[in-house]
Amino acid sequence: MTREPDGSAGPVGSAGGRGRLEVSGLVKRFGAVEAVRGLSFTVEPGAVTGFLGPNGSGKTTTLRALLGLVAPTAGSALVEGVPYVALPAPGRVVGAVLEAQGFHPARTARRHLRACAAAIGVDAARVDEVLALVALTEAADRPAGGFSLGMAQRLALATALLGDPRILVLDEPGNGLDPQGIAWLRDFLRRFAAAGKSVLVSSHQLAEIAQTADRLVVIRDGTCVYQGAREGLSGRPGVTVLCADPAALAAALAGRGVLEIDHLPGGGLAIAADPVLVGDTALAAGVAVYGMTERQGDLEAMFLRLTGGAG
Amino acid sequence: MTAPAPRTGPVRAGPVRALRAEALKTLSVKTWWALLIPAALVALMINLFGGLFSAAIGGVSRDVPGVLLASLAYALALTSVFAGLHGVVLATAEFRHRTATTTYLLAGRAPTLLAKAASAAVVGAGYALVAAVVGAVGGLLGQGGGRLPSVGSLLAVAATGVAVCALWGVLGVALGTLLTNQVGAIVVLLGYVLAVENLLSMALRSGLDDGVDSGRSPGAVARLTSYLPANAGDVALYDLPARELGGRYSTAVVEGLAGVSAPPPGWGALLVLLVWAAAGVALAWVAGGRRDVT
Repeated sequence: MTREPDGSAGPVGSAGGRGRLEVSGLVKRFGAVEAVRGLSFTVEPGAVTGFLGPNGSGKTTTLRALLGLVAPTAGSALVEGVPYVALPAPGRVVGAVLEAQGFHPARTARRHLRACAAAIGVDAARVDEVLALVALTEAADRPAGGFSLGMAQRLALATALLGDPRILVLDEPGNGLDPQGIAWLRDFLRRFAAAGKSVLVSSHQLAEIAQTADRLVVIRDGTCVYQGAREGLSGRPGVTVLCADPAALAAALAGRGVLEIDHLPGGGLAIAADPVLVGDTALAAGVAVYGMTERQGDLEAMFLRLTGGAG
Repeated sequence: MTAPAPRTGPVRAGPVRALRAEALKTLSVKTWWALLIPAALVALMINLFGGLFSAAIGGVSRDVPGVLLASLAYALALTSVFAGLHGVVLATAEFRHRTATTTYLLAGRAPTLLAKAASAAVVGAGYALVAAVVGAVGGLLGQGGGRLPSVGSLLAVAATGVAVCALWGVLGVALGTLLTNQVGAIVVLLGYVLAVENLLSMALRSGLDDGVDSGRSPGAVARLTSYLPANAGDVALYDLPARELGGRYSTAVVEGLAGVSAPPPGWGALLVLLVWAAAGVALAWVAGGRRDVT
C-alpha cells in the first residue's frame, strides 16, 4: 500500500483503523497558490510521527485539511477512515493544537475549558484534571488575555486533551514554550504514543522533534519527500575519505553504482557506502587513501538536502 | 496497548452539546449585559418622556390610551438593534479572537451556528423583556396622567417585542457569521438599520404621493417597503398601538410610524421577519460551511 521502509510496528490497520490518519493525493489550492500538491502519508498509532518541512511547505494546510477546517481541492485527508467532520464525537477522537488558535481575552482559562468540555460532552470535573496536567491550576481563574505565549500554548494543549483523545495533532507546539516546557512536552508525547495512541507533530526545525519522533514525514513544496523511520532518514552510515585523487575515486565509485558522494571542503569525500567497498574501489583505481573515518548517518544534513535548504 | 479512554460521560447529541457550550460562552463574557444597559436606558427614557414621542408623531393627545403602547413599541424597535448587535458580536468574536478553529473542531460548524442563533435569540428576548418592563414602569410614571392601556395590550406589545428582538438576535448571528469581521459587521448592521433601509424605503415610495391623502392605492414597488427586515419588525410592533391610536385609520398610523406603504397585518410582518432570519441563517450555513478556516 504505502512504501514504508520501517515496516512500522503499530497495528497495521485497514483504512479505517483506530487511531489512524491517512492523507492521500491531497491537493489544496488557495487561488493561484498551490499549497499542497498530491501529498500522501499515513500516521499509525503507537508512535510519534514528526511532520517536517520548511515554512510555507504546506504543513499547516495539511493539518487543517485533516481536521476539516480546509476543504481539499482534490484527494482526501481522513481520520480513522472518515473525514473529520463525519466523526460523531470528534473531540473524543482527536485533540488538536493549531497555530492560529486563540482565546477570548476576557474569558478565564477555566470558563474556556468548561465551554469546551460542554462542546465535547465530557464532565466538568475533567477541566480540573487537564488544568493540573498542564500546570495551569494557579492561573485557571485569570482571563486568558493576560497569558504569556507559553501559558496560552499550555491552555491550548489542555483544551486538546479534554476529550481524552486517541489522536493528537500538534502544529509547531514548541513555539513559546520554555526549555522545561519543551522537555515536558517531549516526554508527554512519548508516553502518549507509548500508550498506543497516535501523535502527529509538525515543525520546521528538525532539532525540535528529532528526539521525539519515531517516524518522520518530510515535505517540501507540498509534496512528500520522505516518510518512514527516523533512522531511515539519517541515511546509511558512510565514510569520510582523504585520498590522493578525489575526482578519480569518485568516478571509480560511480562506476560501481555509488552515487551519493559529497566533496568536502579540504579535498575530502563523504561517501554513503560501506568502508570495505570504498577501500577496494580505491585500490582497484590506484588512488592512494590517506585516511578513512566511518561516520554515523547525519539527520540534519539529510533533512536539509531533502528540503532544499542546503548551501 | 492500553485500554481506550474510560471517560465517556453523558452522551448528548451534537447540537445539544453545542448549545450548552454556546450558553456558557455567552454568559462568561460581559457583552450581553454591556449591551443590555443602554437598551434598558433607551427604553426608560423614551417611555418616561413619552411626551417627546407624542410630539414626534404630532397631533396625538396624551389622553389617548395608545400613546404608552406606541412609545413602548418604539422602545422595543430600538431594543431590537441592540439584540442584533449582540448577535453580531457573538458570531464575530470567534473570528476576532481566533477561537473559531477550536469551536468548529469541538462542536462542528452547523451545530455552532444554530446554537449561536439560539443563544442570541434568548438574549434578544431577554433584552425585550427588560425593555418592556422598564419601559412600562417608566411610561406609567411619566405618562401616568393619561388613560392607561389594558394589561392585555401591554402584554401583546411586549410579546411582539420579544419575538422581534429574538429574530434580530438570530439575524445578527447570521450577518456576523457571513462577514466574520466584527467592526465590518457592526457597521453594516447599524448602517443598514439606521440609514440604508430608510433611504431604500424612501426610494421605493418615491413614486407615490402620500397614499392615503391622494386616495390612490400604493403600487407594488412601494408595498415592498413593509417586507424589508427592519420595517417588518416596526410594522409588527406598531400594529396594535396603531389600532388603539388611530382606530379605523390605523393603517395610516402604521405607515407613518414605520415609514412603509400598505403594511400587512402585524402577524404577517412578524412572519416576514422570521423568513428574513431563516434566510440569513441558511446563507450563513452554506457560506460558513464551505469557508476555509485558516
